[in-house]
Formats: sequence, C-alpha cells, structure tokens
Amino acid sequence: MNKKIGVYICQCGSNISDYVDVERVREVVEREEGVALAKVTMFACADSTQQEIVKDIEEQELDGLVIASCSPKLHLFTFRNVAERGGLNKYNYVQSNIREQGSWAHSDTPEQATEKAIRSVRAAIARTRLAEPLVSPVISSERTVLVVGAGIAGLRAAVDLADAGSKVYLIERDHFVGGRTAQWGELFPTDETGGAVTADLYEEVINRDNITLHTGCEVVSNSGSVGNFDIKLRIAPRGAKADTDAAGAEGLDDFEKRLERAIEACPVEVPNAFDFGLTNRKAIYRNSGGFPLMPAIDFEHCTRCGECVNICPEIDLDQKEAFEQIKAGAVVLATGFDPYEPGTDEFGYSSIENVITLQQFRRLIEISGDTLTYKGKDVKDIAYIFCVGSRQTGALDGENKYCARHCCTSAIHSAVLAKKKFAEIQNYHFTRGVRTYGKQESIYEESSKLGDIYLQSFEDDPPVVSCENGITSVKVKDVLTEDRELEVDADLVVLVTGMVPRADKRIGEIMKVPAGRDRFFNEVHPKLKPVETVLDGIYLAGTSQGPKNITETVQSALAAAIKTNALIGKGEIELEPTMAKIDRALCEWCGKCQEACPFDAIDKTEFEGKAVAGVNESTCKGCGMCLPVCPVNAIQLIGFTDAEIETMIDALAD
Amino acid sequence: MGMDPDRSKYDVIVIGGGIAGQESALNLADSGLSVLLVEKDVSIGGKMIHLSKVFPTLDCAACITTPKMSETARHPNITISTDSEIVDIEKNPDNSFSGVLIKHPRYVVENDCTGCQDCEDACPVIVDDQYQYGFVGRKAAYVPFSIANPRIATIDIENCILCGACERACAADAIDFTQKIERTGVTAGSVIIATGFNLFDPAVIERYGGGGFRNVITSMQMERQLVPTRPFNNVLRPGDGKMPDNIAYVLCTGSRDETVGNPICSQVCCMYSIKQGQLLLGSLPMADVTIYYLHIRAFGKGFEEFYQQSKGMGVEFVKGKVGTIEQKENGDLIVRYEDMREGRVKEAEHDLVVLAVGMLANPEAETLFMGGKLEIDEYGYVKQVDRLRNPAKTNIEGVFVAGTASGPMDIPDSIVSAGAAASESLSYLKRAR
Amino acid sequence: MDKGNNKKTSKILVFSTEKISDPAIDLAGLLKQHYPPSVDVISIPCSSGIKPRWIMRAFDKGFDGVFIAADGTDCPFSDTCEDKTAGIVAMTHELMDGKGIDKARLRMAAICSVCSEAFVKQVKVFTDYLAGAGKSG
Repeated sequence: MNKKIGVYICQCGSNISDYVDVERVREVVEREEGVALAKVTMFACADSTQQEIVKDIEEQELDGLVIASCSPKLHLFTFRNVAERGGLNKYNYVQSNIREQGSWAHSDTPEQATEKAIRSVRAAIARTRLAEPLVSPVISSERTVLVVGAGIAGLRAAVDLADAGSKVYLIERDHFVGGRTAQWGELFPTDETGGAVTADLYEEVINRDNITLHTGCEVVSNSGSVGNFDIKLRIAPRGAKADTDAAGAEGLDDFEKRLERAIEACPVEVPNAFDFGLTNRKAIYRNSGGFPLMPAIDFEHCTRCGECVNICPEIDLDQKEAFEQIKAGAVVLATGFDPYEPGTDEFGYSSIENVITLQQFRRLIEISGDTLTYKGKDVKDIAYIFCVGSRQTGALDGENKYCARHCCTSAIHSAVLAKKKFAEIQNYHFTRGVRTYGKQESIYEESSKLGDIYLQSFEDDPPVVSCENGITSVKVKDVLTEDRELEVDADLVVLVTGMVPRADKRIGEIMKVPAGRDRFFNEVHPKLKPVETVLDGIYLAGTSQGPKNITETVQSALAAAIKTNALIGKGEIELEPTMAKIDRALCEWCGKCQEACPFDAIDKTEFEGKAVAGVNESTCKGCGMCLPVCPVNAIQLIGFTDAEIETMIDALAD
Repeated sequence: MGMDPDRSKYDVIVIGGGIAGQESALNLADSGLSVLLVEKDVSIGGKMIHLSKVFPTLDCAACITTPKMSETARHPNITISTDSEIVDIEKNPDNSFSGVLIKHPRYVVENDCTGCQDCEDACPVIVDDQYQYGFVGRKAAYVPFSIANPRIATIDIENCILCGACERACAADAIDFTQKIERTGVTAGSVIIATGFNLFDPAVIERYGGGGFRNVITSMQMERQLVPTRPFNNVLRPGDGKMPDNIAYVLCTGSRDETVGNPICSQVCCMYSIKQGQLLLGSLPMADVTIYYLHIRAFGKGFEEFYQQSKGMGVEFVKGKVGTIEQKENGDLIVRYEDMREGRVKEAEHDLVVLAVGMLANPEAETLFMGGKLEIDEYGYVKQVDRLRNPAKTNIEGVFVAGTASGPMDIPDSIVSAGAAASESLSYLKRAR
Repeated sequence: MDKGNNKKTSKILVFSTEKISDPAIDLAGLLKQHYPPSVDVISIPCSSGIKPRWIMRAFDKGFDGVFIAADGTDCPFSDTCEDKTAGIVAMTHELMDGKGIDKARLRMAAICSVCSEAFVKQVKVFTDYLAGAGKSG
C-alpha cells in the first residue's frame, strides 16, 4: 500500500525535549518511506495542535498518522479521535511512547534516549504502513448494573443509577445493609447518626422499582465482560424472607416486639461482630437499627431448637441457599474496607485488657448508657494512639505505608463525642501530626478548646503501652516538649486503627480487578479516570479504592454512577476490533485453539467441505492466546498481525 | 434531550470552566444533556492549567488538562462561553432557572482568529502577564498562554492605547474594536457552581514582608518557574536573577490562621510544597530545600508515600512556626521560627522564601443568584447542606456545587466531586420529568 | 568508537502487555528508575499471545536478548496465562536449540502493573548477563 503518513513529535513542554533531541528525531524519520510530513510540536495534545493535525490530514490527504509523545495509556484515545476528525480510520493511527519509555526512563543518557526514540518512531511508522482500517464492532449492552456492596457507597450509587434509568441489582454479603456506616453513631460534621443516614438511603432504595436488593448475597462467578457480564449470584439462607418487613394487620410496633421476643428466646450466644465483639448476640439476630427489619439466622451457631419459630412463624430454618444468574452491562464495586486489626501485643492490643481499637471505641460510645464503662470499670482518662496500622514506615515498618486519611478526624470527633456525652472525660492524643485537613480543622480546634491534650509523639519513637499493678500507662518522647519523656495513666487506650483492604479477596479475583501498591483496588489514573478500572465496565465506588471519609465515599459513588450510566445508557457499546481471525484455507482443525481460548469464543465450523475453526466476534476478547498454539500459523490477531509485529521488530533492530 | 436549537435553553448551566467545571460538563454531556459552560476568563482551564507537575504522580498538569479542555470544547452537547459571566439567576415557578449571560467583548472575532500572534508582535504596549504571575510582561493584544483554549488573541482594552497596530497586522481581519457587551437571557433546568477558589494574597502579612521583599515569592509564582512554559527557563530568584541554593517553604501561609480570618486548612499546600521540593531538587541539584511546617497533611492516595520519598531525596522538614521574615542587604532572608522540637526561637538564612499560600473562598459564588439566595458557609464557601448523603446539594433545590467552590480540595478530589455534582444534577432532572 | 570489544551494549526486545506490564514500564519512566536505553518494547494484549516466530525473528534480526514481561497471575484474560506463557517459552526454546541459540537469551518474568522496580532489575541483570555472554550466541 502506498501510504502518506504524517508524523508528529511532541516536546511535551520540555518533558520530552529536555532529554530527547526532537529535531534530530524529526530529521531522521522524515526520510522514512511513506512519510509525507514530519513536525515537532510543543504539546501534541493541545487543542490548537489537534486542529493543526486534522487540517494536515485533510489538506495533505494523509492516510496514516504517527504521534510520538507520552504513553498511549494517556492519549491513545485523544489522538485516535484526532485521526477520525481528519477523516482517517482511527486504527491508521499509531502512538510511539517516547516519554515514559523514552525521555523519562533515560534522562541519564540523552543521546541514547534520542536514538531509542528514533527506533520507536520508525517502528511506529513501519506499523502504520501496514495498518488496515478497522471497524469497531458495536455490541448491545444490558441497561443493568450490578452494585456489589450495600454500604453507604453502594446504596448511594444504586439510587442515582436507578434515577438515571438503569436497572440495578444491589447485593450485600451481610444480611443487613449499611456496611460500616451503620455501625457509627454521630458523624462529623453534621452529628447525624450513621444509622439514620443508612436508614434514609435504605428507604430510598426499596422505594425504587428498578432496584433489586439481595442481602446475604455474593458473586460466585462471572463469564462475561463489558455490556454483558454473565454473573452468578449465591444468596445465603437468611432463615426468613427478607421482605417480610411489611408488618401486615399486626402493625409495625407489635411486629417488632414479636421479633424481639423471638430473638430473646434464642438460647445461643456468640460474640457480636457488629459491636466488634464488645457484646454478644443470639444465633438469631438483627444489627441495631439494621435493615432489612427481619432478623437473620446465624446457621453456623443455630441449634435448630425452634424457640424462635414458635414465636415468629415467619422464620424458616429450612431455607436453602439459592442461586441466581443475572446479566449486567456494568459492575460497580462498592466493597468497602476492613478496619486494621492490630497484631497481638501491638501497643498492648489483646495482651492488656483495656486497649481497644477506634472502631470498638465508637461502638462502646454507642452502647454505653450514662457512664462510659469498659469491662465493668469507669473510664475517665483516655489515651489515643494514632496511626496504628497506617504510615508504617521507619520504626513502625509494616506493609501499610499509606495514610488512612479519615482516622485523625474520626478519632478526634469520637473523643469530643465521648467528652460531651460522659462526665469527667480527659482525652490524651498521641499523634504523629494531626491531619484534620480542610474544614475538618474545626473539630481539632473544638477538641483543643475542650481541653484535650495533644502530644505529637513520634516519628521514630512510637509510644509504649504498658500495664503494671493494674494501671495501664502510655509512655512517649514528646517532640513538642523537647523530646521529654511523658507518661500518661489511662483507663482506656484507644488504638486509632485505619482502613485496610478487605481480607476477603474473592470479588477481586472473580472480576480480575487489579490492586495498587496499597493493595486497594486500583483506579486507572487518579485524575483522568479516578473511578474506572483497567477493565471496561467495572467501576470503583468508595473505600474499595482507598481510604475515604463518608462525604468522599459518597462523592466517589456518585462519580462512578454517572460514568456507568454514560457507558451503558445508550444500550450499545463500541468494542475494540482486536480479535482473532482464522485463515480458513490454512486451518486444519485440530482443536488446540479452542482449548486455549479462555472465553469459549472458538468453535468448530465448516469451510469448503473441511472442518475449520470459527471465532465468535462478540465473545472474543482479543487476548491472542490461540495464536501460538496453532501448528500451521493460521491465526492472526487483528491489529497485531505477523506482518505488523515483524515489521516493528525489523525497525527496532536496525 | 440533547441539543436544543434554541441557544438560550440548556439542561444544565455549569458556572466555571476550571477542572471541576469541565469534568461536570463532560459527565453531563456524555449522559446526553445539553450544557452551557460559562467561564469568566478568556480561556477555560482554571487554575490547574497553570500548574507544573501535579502530585502524587508527577504528571504534568498540562498533559492532564489540555485533552480535557479540547474534549470539552469539542463536545457536541457543550456550549462554552468564555469572557462571560452569568448574573441575576433566579428560580422560576416551573422550577427552571433563568439568568443573564454577559459576554464581554474580546475585540477579536473568535471564529476568524488563527492564533498566529502577529497582533502580539505589533502591539507596542507591555504590561505584567497575569498568567505568569507578574514575572514577565505581555502585550495588550495577546494570546493568553500557549495552551489556552480557545487559543486565540484578545485585546486587554484597559491597557490598550487604541493605536490600531494590531488591526493593521492581522491578516485575518479578526480585530474588531466595535464589539460590545452582549447580554442574553438563558434558562436551564439545573445549575452547577464550579467557581473555584482564590489564592491567599500574602501582602496582608506584614511580618512576612507584606509583599515588599523581592525574594519572597508565593508558591504559585514558584509553580510558574517550574512549568515547561516558564518565563525564565530556569528557577531564578526575582530580586537579582541569581539561582537560589537555599530555599525555604513557609507552610500554612494564610491557612489555619485566625488572624487573617481563615481558620481552616487548605488541604493542598503541604503536598504542592513537597512536590515543588522534589522538582527543585531535580532542577537545582545543589540546592537545599527546607519546609517549615506545623503538621504535614499527606492524606490522599499515594500522598504519604510521596512525602516519604521527598524525605529520602533530601528535602529538609522542620517542625516550626515561622514568626517573621527579614530581608538582608544582599536580598537574602532571615527566617525566625519557633523550633517545636527544641522549644525555642531560632533563625535561619535562606536566599529564597516561598510562601505556601492557601485557598480562600471565591466570593463571586455568593452574588450569582438574585437576592443572594445561595447560602454560604462560615468560611465563605458554597454551603453543602447534606454532606453525608448529597454532597453537592446546596440550599436551592436544583443547584449543585462542584470542586473547590465548596471548600479546599486537591485535584483528584475536585474531579470526583465534580462527577458527584453531575450525577446529582442528572438525577434531579430525571426525577423532575 | 568502541574502546573495548565487550563494551557494546546488548540489545533487548521486550514483549510487554497493554494492561499489566506496560503500565509498570511506564511507571519506571515516571519514577526515573533508569534502565539501559538499548531496551526496546513492543506492547501486545497478553503475554500468552506471543508467537515463537516473533521471538525467533528478533534473534534473527540481531537482538541479543528477548524478555517477556508476562502478565503472570494478574492477567485480565485468564488464570491460565502463567502456564501458557511458560509453554511459549518452552516451544521457543526448542526452536532456539535447533538453531544453536543459547536458551538463556530468552527470559520471562511476571511484571505486575506497578512492578516497575522488578522490571528495571530484570532488564539490568539481563543486560549484564548478555554482555558477559559475549558473542557466544
């Protein structure tokens, strides 16, 4: 093919041109076969440059385009779009990465960086010469979204998804919705309770016909992808129908009372996870204020004595697990976080009895009456040790290098709550620098005014919690008083534990969502695609992506909702045309490609009287796993053909 | 929905064309709504387009912003009005909003200008370049900055001497001094406020020299010295053009400070100072960088790691409150600070001091609505009336807030908050139908 | 030109994957974790889709080494990727054997999407190895 190719070499301000001699690159590649023009630009991505390129394509009748700039991860779509606006097929555009894999990687050897850039651009030109115009297949998409997790992020995302016109499956692994937020009492900054906020959102959810809520439900498998996720759900037995909320003629009050009596009748007691083990619950239980209203049976501990059923015939101890197969166009992962669980003896945890976590402390405030007591003893002096399980660098070396973001404000707000609610509380904060960013500064101010004492204790010398003669004390070198050693006796030590990724990794494994350095699910880019994952159609909401406070969680859930709706709202999605193509003349059907395909996209068909392989275009994902196994080299991957790859190898080798 | 042929009716009006406004507009437009994006400046892009690299990934701000700007400008569902403001917005009985769009004359015909800059060469007037934060000059006829969108000329009529040189130089005949202010009535079903923030002006702090010391600059000025399109192509101190080798950062300038009326933390200054520290160590390998701080607020995803990385690179962190700055005869500066570790007042000499200025509310948001109906919070930001359920909701049903118009925020948070505002606006409109 | 005849830097062709190892290689650049500029990269959808003939072509055209930056367990397509990529290496090794090419000139390691340091280390060690191996290939 006789191509007329336009080549643009971006300076990226100076990000590229500081190390790569872009003018030299231009001079060399200008002489390449098929190159009609070669230009250096300040910012190839700037609108004015884009317009210039469009104009060049039109005026010079270019039929190939190469832009040597940043990583295609940033601007492949930007420039494909430029090609299209100039009337080119977008697959006649090839990007050469001379920034991330050029100037930046080799800023120490500018001359060789320039040589590498020349090779890279020549390879891109060679590939462009062979590039075929491709048509993106368009698939129809389900207008259904699966939201995994019905904590505040999932609940909130579901509401906006539904309002924008999508059908929503909202699933929650637990038998009650609300997630972590439901566990907290008064929240900063409005002092509404977590229970009240989640109750409102639950109400919004069940009032929408296009949201199906499943509790006790998790994803078992997925065999589809964007537009058509084919997902199997498992619904664990609750021991009662979740939707028996309707109290009927009995009236809500009496119905609730009867449920309470049924719970009381249960003879089994186990530690209550909702209260982080501070209290016990029965084998039939409800989370305090939790929804749905109907209690759930803890089948692991239930003895099937039937006491509860006698009072409440709605309970069904023979309920079986159920499975449901659903189709969804997109998936929102709102799977939340786990609180950091300190190791044994980490700041006295589990070895000293009055050392608890921040999450336990928040429940303790909730379940205490007029006085704050822990294990039967009155609590007056409370020591808070910040950054437990977070910022584990230096002396605290651990795997969580990140700051858990919400805990400074949460701890200080909890301390203020305790002080307001109970008499004679004195708070001592052992911090590593208080991070009440933004308007949250006000709670730090308030606590200081209320008389809380702050000791910015440690970078390299973490405080030491010890217990002698029944008195627990925290010792620290305080940087604010010339590193003087200070000791505080405390009735309760609260470890300000942060957020860690969910220990249960199954959903990530099933949906194949990659995690970042902090082990939370990773967004594509914090600024360009903050709620998107590398997998088309899978979005992140809330703390599944990283620590956040409630406002930030809701914001990310809503951002994920509108992106999801925009993706599936039209009912069809344009796919990449990268897929396997069989040369039927060569194919001698041996079945190896079918075996290699992870998507069951290859079937045996017939062609001119012989058996050959056939590719299902809507299920082929273009991975190429079938290519190397073919004994007669009858398979080419569109966009990555032998000719294209080999011409690049040749160009790079020169 | 989609585009209404009537240029005065939109689904949503987004006020402010910075990163939050663009993100809101794009999200709504991708959802099929028609959007009017109103920008008071001559280019969209807001503050972000003028930044160097951005934390914690060190992408260049332009690389993130320019494609977003062109996507916004190109989107068939978005109409951009630059040089514009919208006033007297009020809610009608049918719950729609109407307001007056005022487009100020650019004295350049937008569709005819090619951005060739011939007018700029011809113009004899030189004034301070506001986009370079006063470091260099520009002409009265000028293309605002190299990556502006639209990248076309404008005439700064306040400084123009009406000599006509630009008109004669313009081959495209695009200069038009007869342009007048245009007022159009516009209506929409919902409004998103993305009016951003103002930078704190340190001139009010006498003890830091009240703006009088040449080698005391703001962090935004340092930002301009670090961008690819920077004025001097190097980091220089403005007093004498010397390359600094001992640079100090004063954090919390104008933040967490009741005496200047801003008690809250600006959320970004720690991180951008750490980032500038890293960039400075890159461009001035021999320089010392000292950051005076109260608390380092490296709270976001990847931020703590970025902070630790800067310590590893050799950025010095001193926990101490800076009391006063004095200027020596040679232009060097004496920083007096309370060293919190040692509990005493100390002095240190630096040859360049960067004031890490914070964010202040943009008071313009308050004046958008007829009768001042939009509620403002105690810090001057647009009040979020339901922070835990509907973080973008304001006291006026159908009006939402995005980005730093609601409070200090970094770029990733602004972008996510803009997505939330768009989603709330979309749901509101869908529910109303 | 060359002062010593073993001073020539070894040319390595890397096959990286669009979603997993390519971001890691980009990250190496972003973090200025330098590696030899004689390392060139061709990005493909998945490391299980590399044809042995491409690798042989690279040796034929003068590359001293080929490095497969594999998806490993992070593969977005299939959890069989690790085994399949290993199978490609085995198939290629046979072809290399047939042509008398040192099998150590083909290497593979899983490079996760944030494993920039691992990538840099791998290609540096490989470069050193190839320089030491001299002209034996």
